Amino acid sequence: MDFSAFLDGFGVVTQPGNLLYCLIGVVVGMLIGVLPGLGPAATMAILLPVVYSAHDPVAAIIMLAGIYYGAQYGGTITSVLLRIPGEASSVVTVFDGFALAKQGKAGTALGIAAIGSFIGATISIIGLTLLGPLVAEFALDFGPPEYAALALLGVLLVATIGNGNTVKALAAAAIGLLLATVGSDSFTSADRFTFGSLNLEDGIDFVVVAMGLFGVGEILYNLEERHGKPHVPAAIANIWPSRKDLKEAGPAIGRGSFIGFVLGVLPGGGAVMASLAAYAAEKRVAKDPSRFGRGAIEGVAGPESANNAAATSSFIPLLTIGIPANASMAMLYAALLVVGVTPGPQLIDERPDLFWGVVNSMYIGNLILLLLSIPLVGIFVRILRVRPAILAPITALITILGVYTIRNSVFDIFLMIFFGVVGYLMKKFGFEPGPMVLAFVLGSLIESSFRRSMLIFEGDASGFVTRPISGTILAFVVLVIAFPLIKRALRRKTPDTDTTPETVQREDSLR
Amino acid sequence: MRKQTLSLAAVAAGAALALSACGGVQTTAGGGSDSGDYPTGSVNMPVGASAGGSSDLISRQVSRGLSEELGGSFPVINREGANGALAAAEVAKAEPDGSTISVQNASLFAITPLAVPEDQVTSIDDFDVVQGVSRDDYVLVASKGSGFDSIESFQDADGKVTYGTTGVGTGAQLACALTFNVNDTPAEAIPFDGGAPALTALLGDQVDTACLQVGEAIENIRSGKILPIVVFGPERVEFLPDVPTAQESGLDVEVAQYRFMTVPKGTPQDVKDSIAEAMQATFETSEYQDFNEQNNLTPMEISGDEVVTQLEEDKQRYADLVEEYGIDLGDAS
Amino acid sequence: MSETQPRPAPGADQGASDVDHEHDILAEIKAEVAQDLADERPPAGGPAYQVASALFVLLVGLAGAWLAYGYGIGSLRRPGPGLWPFIVSCLIVVLAVVLLVVGRHLDDTEKFTRSSLLVAVGAATFVALGFLLPVVGFEIPAVLLGIVWLRFLGGESWRSTIVISVLTTAAFYGLFLYALSVPLPHLIAL
Repeated sequence: MDFSAFLDGFGVVTQPGNLLYCLIGVVVGMLIGVLPGLGPAATMAILLPVVYSAHDPVAAIIMLAGIYYGAQYGGTITSVLLRIPGEASSVVTVFDGFALAKQGKAGTALGIAAIGSFIGATISIIGLTLLGPLVAEFALDFGPPEYAALALLGVLLVATIGNGNTVKALAAAAIGLLLATVGSDSFTSADRFTFGSLNLEDGIDFVVVAMGLFGVGEILYNLEERHGKPHVPAAIANIWPSRKDLKEAGPAIGRGSFIGFVLGVLPGGGAVMASLAAYAAEKRVAKDPSRFGRGAIEGVAGPESANNAAATSSFIPLLTIGIPANASMAMLYAALLVVGVTPGPQLIDERPDLFWGVVNSMYIGNLILLLLSIPLVGIFVRILRVRPAILAPITALITILGVYTIRNSVFDIFLMIFFGVVGYLMKKFGFEPGPMVLAFVLGSLIESSFRRSMLIFEGDASGFVTRPISGTILAFVVLVIAFPLIKRALRRKTPDTDTTPETVQREDSLR
Repeated sequence: MRKQTLSLAAVAAGAALALSACGGVQTTAGGGSDSGDYPTGSVNMPVGASAGGSSDLISRQVSRGLSEELGGSFPVINREGANGALAAAEVAKAEPDGSTISVQNASLFAITPLAVPEDQVTSIDDFDVVQGVSRDDYVLVASKGSGFDSIESFQDADGKVTYGTTGVGTGAQLACALTFNVNDTPAEAIPFDGGAPALTALLGDQVDTACLQVGEAIENIRSGKILPIVVFGPERVEFLPDVPTAQESGLDVEVAQYRFMTVPKGTPQDVKDSIAEAMQATFETSEYQDFNEQNNLTPMEISGDEVVTQLEEDKQRYADLVEEYGIDLGDAS
Repeated sequence: MSETQPRPAPGADQGASDVDHEHDILAEIKAEVAQDLADERPPAGGPAYQVASALFVLLVGLAGAWLAYGYGIGSLRRPGPGLWPFIVSCLIVVLAVVLLVVGRHLDDTEKFTRSSLLVAVGAATFVALGFLLPVVGFEIPAVLLGIVWLRFLGGESWRSTIVISVLTTAAFYGLFLYALSVPLPHLIAL
C-alpha cells in the first residue's frame, strides 16, 4: 500500500468543500434511511446530476457514498421504533430492537446500534484500506455452489430466529421461500404464480413484503389490542446505554464487525447474510439464548455492526475489480463514469486521489454519523411518547406512500396491504413473520444458485461436496443441524448437568 | 360508530370521484401540450430499468439535454420490470400529447418476443418512434483459466463450454447461444441476473465464457483479466479495435442493443419534431459525446423511421436464426 | 406486543422470572411491567384455531405443489421452472402435516373478538387510499385516512384530528414532492 497516497487522501477529504458534501451526503442518507421505500439507490439517481455541477467531482462522489452508508444508520431507527425495516439487512434488528423499545429502552437500542455501526464500519474501512484487493480475490472464489451452500445455511439460521414454535417458524420460512419464486423465472422466463399479472412478472419487492408483514401488520394488530385501553406511555429510561449495556454489547460488536466485513464482500445478499449470521452467532454464544427476541442488547449490537461493516466492504469489489455489488454500488459506478473514471483494477494506480479520497471520506463520514446520532437518538425516542392513536395513521401513510415510491406502482400498495393483513392473521394464529421475511430475502439466491450449480455440474450434485469452500460450508450446515440434536440427546441421558429443572420446564412450555 | 365511519368514507369517495372528473391529478407539476410551444409543463420519462443501469443513465442524459434545449423538466421515472414491458405499457396507454415519452430498448421488441409467451409481447406498433439514440455492443469474453482466446480454440474444448449470460431474453443470451450453435460447439448457458454477476463469475473462473455489454467488460479486458473473443456489432467497436466481429470470424451472427425515443401512438407531429430537434441538438453537445464515450456507447442517431425498419429487420432475422438452429431462449411456446 | 414474546404457559411463570437471575433486578422489573401491560391479550384460540391454520398451510403447500408441477419439473441436469417451487411446496405440506399432528395443543393463538372488526375497517381505509391515489392524488385520501384513524378509530378530539391530518399531509407533500422530487400523484400544484 502506498502510504503517502493514503495520507494525501485525508488531505482531499479535509478540504472544507469536501467535508461539507460528506456532511450533506450522510444527512440525506440518514433521512432516506428513515423513510421506508425510497432507498439509497433511487436517491443517488436523483442526485446524480450534482456530479456534473459540483465544483469538484470527487466531492460529489464522496456525497453519494455518504448517502449509501448514511442510509444504513437511518434504517435502524424505523426498525427499532416502528418495526418497519427499510432495508433487508435491518430485518433482524427488528426482533430485539423493537422489544427493547417496548420496554422503554429505545435509547439504549439506538445508542448501541449507532456505536456498533460506527465500530463495524470503521473496522471494515481499515480492512478495506489494508486488505481490499486481497479480499476481492477471495470473493471471486465464491461461485454458484458456494452461494447455494451459504444461502442454505442462512435459511437454516432463519429457523433459529425468534422464540415461537419451531415447526411454525419453519412453515413460515418455507412459505417465504415459495413467495420468492413468484414472477418470471430468470432461467426460462416461464411465469410462476403470477396469475397473468404483469405487475408480478418481476417478483415481489422485499420492501413490500417486509413493510406489509411487519409495519402494516403491527399497525392493524395494535388497532385491535389498543381498543378500550388507556395509553400508557413507555417509560423512556436510559437515553444512553449504560456501562453494563456497553460491556454486554462489546463482544457482539466485535464479532458482528468481523462477520460483516467478510460476508459483505460477496455481491448480492452479502449484507443480509451478514446480519443474519451475526444474530445467529450471538444467540449461539449467549449463556441464555431465550432472551433473544425479548430485548437482548446483543441482538441489536451484532447485526447492526455486521450490516454496516458489510455495507462498507461492498465497496471493495467496486473499487478493486470494478464490479458493483448492489444497486447503490451500481449508481456509484455510474457516477464514477460521469467523472471520467471507469472503476476497475487500475483505479487505485490511476486515480489515487479519488480512491483514497472516497475511502478516507468514510472514516470521517462515519464519525459525523456517530456524532449526529447522539443528539438525534434523544429526539427520535420521543416518537414513542406520541399516543399510538396518532402514531398509527402517520406510520401507515409513511409506509403506503413509501411503498408507492419504489416503482411508482399502486399495485405494490395493494400487495403491501395484503401482506399487512397476512401479518396480522399470522400473529393471531401464532406464526412469526420474521422467518418468512428472511427466507423470502434469501429465497431467490438459494434457488438460482442451486440451479446454476446444477447446470455447471451437469446434473451431478456431488460437486457441492467436492469443491473446497462449498464443502466446508455444507459441513457447517450439517453441524448446525446435528449440534442441537446431539445436545438434546446428551441432556436426556444426564438431566442435571448443564440445565436446571426450571429452564427445562420453561423451554418445554415455549415449544 | 362503524356506521358513521362507513358513511363518511362513502361521502369522501363520492367527493373524490367528483373531483377526479375535473381531471386535475398529476404526477408532476404540469401537463402535456396541444400546441406548438412544447412542452407546456413537465414531461414524464418512464424507463423500464432500475436506477444505475445503462437504460436509466441514457434516459437521464437525454432528459438533461431535452430540458436544456426545450425548457421545462423531464423527470425520469424508474418503472422497472419485465425487461421494460411495464414501462412500455405505461407509455402506450398514456395521453398522446407529448406529456409522456420514453427511451426504450430494441431487445424488448426484437428479442424478448422469442423468449416470452405470446400475450406478453410488446409491439412497436403501439408507439411512434421519434429518434434513434445509441447502440450498445455485446462482446464474447473468455476467462483466463478457460484457455480460450479465439473462436477456433473452442474446437479444443473438452466437454461442454459454459457461458454466462445477463439474463433470459437479452441480446447477450441470443448472441452467445447463436455463436455456439453456429460454431457447433457443445455449450451450456448459465443465466445470471445482469452483467455484474456474470462478470464476477467469469473473473472467478466459475464459467468459461460470457457475453457482456462492452461497457461492462472493458475495464477488465484492458487490465488483461479476461480475453475478448468477438464483438457482435456490424463493425468493430471503437473501444476494442483489435477484436474482430463475429462476421469476420466466419460466424453469421450480428446482435446489438440499441435505444430510441418513443411516444404514444398518435402524438401530434409538431411535438415529435420538437423532441427530435432537441435531441439532435443534444447529440451535438460535447457533454453528451463524452457521456457516450465513457459508457462505450456508439451513436446511432438515425431517424425514427429508420429505427422501425431496423427493428422489423432484426426481429425477423433473429426469429429465423433461432428457428434454424432450434435455439430455446425461454418459454415462448 | 411483539409476537416474539410468547406468553408463558400457566405454571411456567415461576421459571420465566428465574431465568435472568444474573442481570440486575431493576431492569428486570421494568421489563416485567412492560410485559404485563402488553400481556392483556385476548384468550388463546384453542385447538380449532391451530387446526385451521395448519389446514391453511397444507392448502398453500398443495396448491403450490400442483401449480409448480404444471410449470415443469425438468431434471436435475436441467432443472425446470417448477422444480424448486415443487420441492419447497412439498416441504410446506410435510410441515403442515406435522403441525396438524403435534400442534393441536399449542397455546400461541388468539381468539378473534368484536374489536377484530376494527382491523377490517382499518385495512379497508388503506385499500380505499390505494384506489383513490391515482384518481384524485394523495392529498384528499391522506387527510381522510387521518380523520378516520384519529377520530373514529383512535378517539382523538376533532380539533387534534383535523390539525394532525392536515399537517401530516402537508409535511408529506413537502417531503416527497419538493425535498425528494418523487413523482407522487397529487392534486395541488404549487
